[in-house]
Amino acid sequence: MSASAFLTVDSVTQVFPLDDGGEYIALRDINLEIRRGEFVSLIGHSGCGKSTLLNLLAGLDQASIGGILVEGRQVTEPGPDRMVVFQNYSLLPWLSVRQNVALAVNRVLRQAGAEERRQRVEHNLRLVGLQQAADKLPSELSGGMKQRVAIARALSIRPNLLLLDEPFGALDALTRGNLQEQLMQLCQEAGVTTVMVTHDVDEALLLSDRVICLSNGPQARIGQIVAVPFERPRHRLEVMQHPEYYTLRSELIGFLQQQRRLRQRRAELERQAEQVRSQASRATAVLPARGPVCTLPQASRIGFLPGLDVAPLALALERQLFDPQAVQLQPVAFNSWERLGQALRDGEIDVAITPATTPLRLSLGLDGHAPWPAITPMTVSRNGNALCIARALVEQNVSDRASLRQWLDQRQQPLHVAVPERHGMTELLLRHWLAGGDIDISNQVQFEPMWPLVMESSLRKQQIDAFIAGRYRVAAAVQERHGQVLASDHDIWADHPEKVLTCGELWASSQPETLLALCAGLMRAAERCDDSSERDALVQVLSQHQWLGQRASAALSRQFDRGDGRGLPMRFNHFHADRAHRSDPAEGCWILTQLSRWGWCPFPANRLEILSQVYRPDLYQRALEQAGFASLPLSRRAFALADGLVFDQDDPLGYLAQLPGQPTPAVRPLPLQAPSASANANATDTAAAAGSSTSSHR
Amino acid sequence: MTTTAPIGHAPRRRRRSTAAAILRPAVPYLVCIGGFLLAWQLLSLLIGVSRLPGPINVIVDTWDPYISQPFFDDGGTSKGLGWQILISLTRVAAGYGLAALVGISIGGLLGLNRFVGKGLDPVIQVLRTVPPLAWFPISLMVFQDANTSAIFVIFITAIWPIIINTAVGIREIPQDYTNVARVLRLGKADYIRSIVIPATVPYVFTGLRISVGLAWLAIVAAEMLKADGGIGYFIWDAYNAGGDSSSSQIILAILYVGIVGLALDRLVALAGRLIARGGR
Repeated sequence: MSASAFLTVDSVTQVFPLDDGGEYIALRDINLEIRRGEFVSLIGHSGCGKSTLLNLLAGLDQASIGGILVEGRQVTEPGPDRMVVFQNYSLLPWLSVRQNVALAVNRVLRQAGAEERRQRVEHNLRLVGLQQAADKLPSELSGGMKQRVAIARALSIRPNLLLLDEPFGALDALTRGNLQEQLMQLCQEAGVTTVMVTHDVDEALLLSDRVICLSNGPQARIGQIVAVPFERPRHRLEVMQHPEYYTLRSELIGFLQQQRRLRQRRAELERQAEQVRSQASRATAVLPARGPVCTLPQASRIGFLPGLDVAPLALALERQLFDPQAVQLQPVAFNSWERLGQALRDGEIDVAITPATTPLRLSLGLDGHAPWPAITPMTVSRNGNALCIARALVEQNVSDRASLRQWLDQRQQPLHVAVPERHGMTELLLRHWLAGGDIDISNQVQFEPMWPLVMESSLRKQQIDAFIAGRYRVAAAVQERHGQVLASDHDIWADHPEKVLTCGELWASSQPETLLALCAGLMRAAERCDDSSERDALVQVLSQHQWLGQRASAALSRQFDRGDGRGLPMRFNHFHADRAHRSDPAEGCWILTQLSRWGWCPFPANRLEILSQVYRPDLYQRALEQAGFASLPLSRRAFALADGLVFDQDDPLGYLAQLPGQPTPAVRPLPLQAPSASANANATDTAAAAGSSTSSHR
Repeated sequence: MTTTAPIGHAPRRRRRSTAAAILRPAVPYLVCIGGFLLAWQLLSLLIGVSRLPGPINVIVDTWDPYISQPFFDDGGTSKGLGWQILISLTRVAAGYGLAALVGISIGGLLGLNRFVGKGLDPVIQVLRTVPPLAWFPISLMVFQDANTSAIFVIFITAIWPIIINTAVGIREIPQDYTNVARVLRLGKADYIRSIVIPATVPYVFTGLRISVGLAWLAIVAAEMLKADGGIGYFIWDAYNAGGDSSSSQIILAILYVGIVGLALDRLVALAGRLIARGGR
């Protein structure tokens, strides 16, 4: 919270009770700061909670969670310092125009003399050009005139904050245009801070300093913030001729279109999930009712690759932290990420612990496969990677990035690095780090996907110069004195998302309870994984052969040796603390920038649509609540990697432009797979699975 | 001549159309009411003029003194129909006026105070369905006086729609208006004066209009049971007298009752329109 903010919306969540006893979460974790004198617009589709937020600012409603500060004081009730111009004007029909304005003036300026009050009323009527109509009743006025009265009434009491709820929505284009210019002029002269709800993109651009885009409700969040840089005073024609006008306009319209498509997609998905569920229950229903009725849910298959990241899963299964009524898990181990991705697409497994890049790559269809809509409700682990170089390099004085570059410059061949997965999270991190050290990625480095299992032996046999993998693999190599750690997460991106839970969009919407129970169990286990007093128990669990086996103890030793004698402990995997589980679209946005940076896909013009489909903070929050943890709000704040370059999710292209080496990638929309195309295959899968699991009960 | 001919035609045609324009709206009334009177006359001829006089018989029988001299007074209860109606109207005025006063106050209380509004709702819902005449015996026992009892019956009949409509009117004040009051931080007195009263007036008058009809219904019935004078008494008295023109007198009185009821209804509606339009 900076001290300069005039108005602060602090982690506001608004929940309305429903008649059926449930609740409707209209707004979730809204954080916003507005400067004095700023004009801010709220834009979004109907039902996104714009007016709810405005009512909270006015004090007409109280936020369920969080609060609103105006000049450092909390808003607890409405007051004339925060005057509202309501959507339907809210003039009192039994009072004349003059009386309507006078009601406000008389009330707010009680101490002033009658003559002063009268002058104030007349002055404000003159401002909006309504002296002639002063004695008319509101029913005798046109819509535009009524709105002018409402504005005059609002401005007459000189509020600090003016709140406008779709002020020009019901007016014809000509009247609207005139009133917009008048309002702009009046607000500027009065220096009043203004928040306006609108659904008109041009209006928002003409009037605002910033446009706040709200995502679809329920659980609406701030999807994007667009700064409008036009100089004031503004005039419509000049603004429209501004070179940036159409860029900003298409940005806003793009946002709204993406939100609309998302909503249609969610509805379609819900319909199909319903179909799948009814098919599954029909499959169960044909069974003759013999023996005890089995109420246990069918087993969900969860795929993973052995590594430290599976610690929460292993611990949760061992300690029975999953709600047995909601989820039965059958862990399936894989030895390569490619195989695991294939299994996920084919429906062999329902859900998997995957690298953080996987959900986006599956959804975009980046690896030569058709796009397959995937979602991620939570991050399973953060950190845990290290770059290990061969002894031979160490002996040639490669000890950091600069010396690596010198060494590479002298050598003819590129650096041969093994990565667990082509175009995966580890490769992105490594590329980013190497490029940051002025190493020419395309000519000086060669990445080779390799099963993590064989990386160490390849390093020993000098088939590769280095590998980047989980700390578990690196620890083994260092312990055997085959290599040395050159860099770890701390040098690249501390607390980066490493493994996330990934599942198909349709499975998530047809088995919501299962997914939530799975997430909640993983979260409970993750808390124990972070607890150093539980570490010995964790070693014991992970030492079982189906997880890591004998090497678990080396991987989990408290002082992890980098092998360079410096003895600096490597960062341990980070499972729970500091909102580690968050499913953060901003991090996904960073991944998108990197995917396009290396030319694997164009930068998606519809990034918000993609990110909102793939990243599901709503599920993250519900799972947190189910696990019994406080649901901490997501911050929209910009973050920086270890190189200090700030990444702002509202300006990913600006970030890309600052990165060294690469030309700016193409920007174009990447169509998402419609849910229907993949649904049929999946629906039959699920139905078949339901059939097979029921037959096994017989 | 050839040039003036069309000019001469035009006004005539226009005159004809003006006359038609005046007549046309009256046509349905003339036709339907005429048909009704005709059917009535035929019906009376069918079952005997002595049992059900036709419209012509009614006018002939009651022309003197009831139609021609509405304000004759022979002393006692033998008075012209004008007097009888005035007596009834006085009673209605007393009972209805009291009902309006008390009803608006109670309704206002119920509307403003959610607790009382909720708690008293069952009582009101039960009492409002009680037929007017059911109150009559108990009020006779309490007041021991026919006139006061009749006024009480009017009061108790007329009060419920007023209470209910006032309370609903206050509860239904549009959110917009209360939001304006909240943003301007109007005090309770200011709020009632500037918002509640003007916003509720149309509802109150709806209640008053329903009530005046009910009150007029109730007074005629109450006077038939036990009263000295009044239009209801006149009807019952005529029936008991059983003279030649009794049935004609009754029919004439019924007609007057209807016309007065209609006039009362329109009067209250007009008052409501005037007040709602003129501001507070």
